[in-house]
Amino acid sequence: MSGPHSRRAVITGMGVIAPNGASTDTFWKATREGIGVLDRVTREGCEHLPLRVAGEVRDFDPSAAVEERFLVQTDRFTHFAMAAADLALEEARLGRTVTDAAPFSVGVVTAAGSGGGEFGQRELQQLWGKGSRYVGPYQSIAWFYAASTGQISIRRGFKGPCSVVAGDEAGGLDALAHAARAVRRGTDVIVAGSTEAPLAPYSMVCQLGYDELSTESDPTRAYRPFTSAACGFVPAEGGAMLVVEDEHTARERGAQVRAVLAGHAATFTGASRWEESRHGLAHAVRGALDEAGCAPEEIDVVFADALGVPEADTAEALAIADVLGTRVPVTAPKTGIGRGYGAAPVLDAVAAVLAMEHGVIPPTPNVFDICHDLDLVTGRARTAELRTALVLSRGLMGSNSALVLQRRATGAS
Amino acid sequence: MTDRITVEELAELMKKSAGVTVAPAELRANDPGFDSLGVDSLGLLGIVGELENRYGTPMPPDAERSKTPRQFLELVNSALMTGA
Repeated sequence: MSGPHSRRAVITGMGVIAPNGASTDTFWKATREGIGVLDRVTREGCEHLPLRVAGEVRDFDPSAAVEERFLVQTDRFTHFAMAAADLALEEARLGRTVTDAAPFSVGVVTAAGSGGGEFGQRELQQLWGKGSRYVGPYQSIAWFYAASTGQISIRRGFKGPCSVVAGDEAGGLDALAHAARAVRRGTDVIVAGSTEAPLAPYSMVCQLGYDELSTESDPTRAYRPFTSAACGFVPAEGGAMLVVEDEHTARERGAQVRAVLAGHAATFTGASRWEESRHGLAHAVRGALDEAGCAPEEIDVVFADALGVPEADTAEALAIADVLGTRVPVTAPKTGIGRGYGAAPVLDAVAAVLAMEHGVIPPTPNVFDICHDLDLVTGRARTAELRTALVLSRGLMGSNSALVLQRRATGAS
Repeated sequence: MTDRITVEELAELMKKSAGVTVAPAELRANDPGFDSLGVDSLGLLGIVGELENRYGTPMPPDAERSKTPRQFLELVNSALMTGA
């Protein structure tokens, strides 16, 4: 429980299952090099759909990462979440013996945009193909948004506060903020993040109604935000889970403090009202800076939302300029892997932490001729001393969020 | 298909419906609890549903509340015998 010290939420572990790598290391190497892995959709039953390019996770074997009984009970998005949580906890050196000794000190927060579509489709096909008696009981939990939070906590025996944030793409950042608040209120550890698996036929058909979706069939041209060729976004699967921990507790047990979750704010400006997202996003950035006690000029790099829709790109470039000016370096590594809905900004947060640690800003793959007043890092990674990073996210349904990450805790808060 | 559910068939259903792999010999010898095997209430419900579909007859309501495989088999087999 809360001690005499002021509690500060820090990141001590990061686990990634992404289209460009099923570990934090491989994700970072590909991200730093600006390697684009967008490709034609190969998932069975999706070949005929007008959504041709996506960021598929191909280098992940669920049965090697997760016990069979959890595989049977859960959807692919939860397989990603359990595997990513394991990687993050391992990196934070929170093995089972440690957490078993204090199960009420560990909670889970996830965000999900769509739940378990592949599992749900299979069971609904049973329902309409054979009848209600052929629907398996795990349907009741597997396709639910909350499944990953529940299954991570059950599987690892965590009994601390658990919750689920349903907040659109921006919910990924809101989940990290929720975790930070839980830590500041007294929970020692929260496993937080977002993973998504929206590339099964049913889920893909659901997305076809989004005007913002790219239907371009050339993987190198399908997702090019901030250019005059911007034609929408490319969806992706995978995601990341982070270990968010009280700094004092973390240091006492000798854990490595990777970054501070310093500030966050969220606003709402309505579905697909991209012009209005300028002010919503700017307001969120100001709120996040305010909470972090951070001046605009202290932001060393921005990880942009980068929707890839001209009107939305303009709004974001203007929002950044409104609060931070036009000289701050901006990057959008998600153009190399696609946009994994709620998982996208969590992967950006991971990339931001690694960028600060390595002193390099990863580039924006496939993006070259910028048509906005924006210092977008393209082509190759840029070396820079990075102490503070800003991650931005907007949802198709109108949520805007901003998260400030700081490399190291300054003395007293 | 016989009208008695065997330990082998239960082991196969436990794998299919609940993702739990256990040798029939182990079930026969030690009758471990479903709890300790990792078969939860939804898993057992799935096994009951699968048996009802296979045999075309409802299983007793208490079946899904069984604590061990032996208890479960006694219940479902007595239902199959009386139903036959």
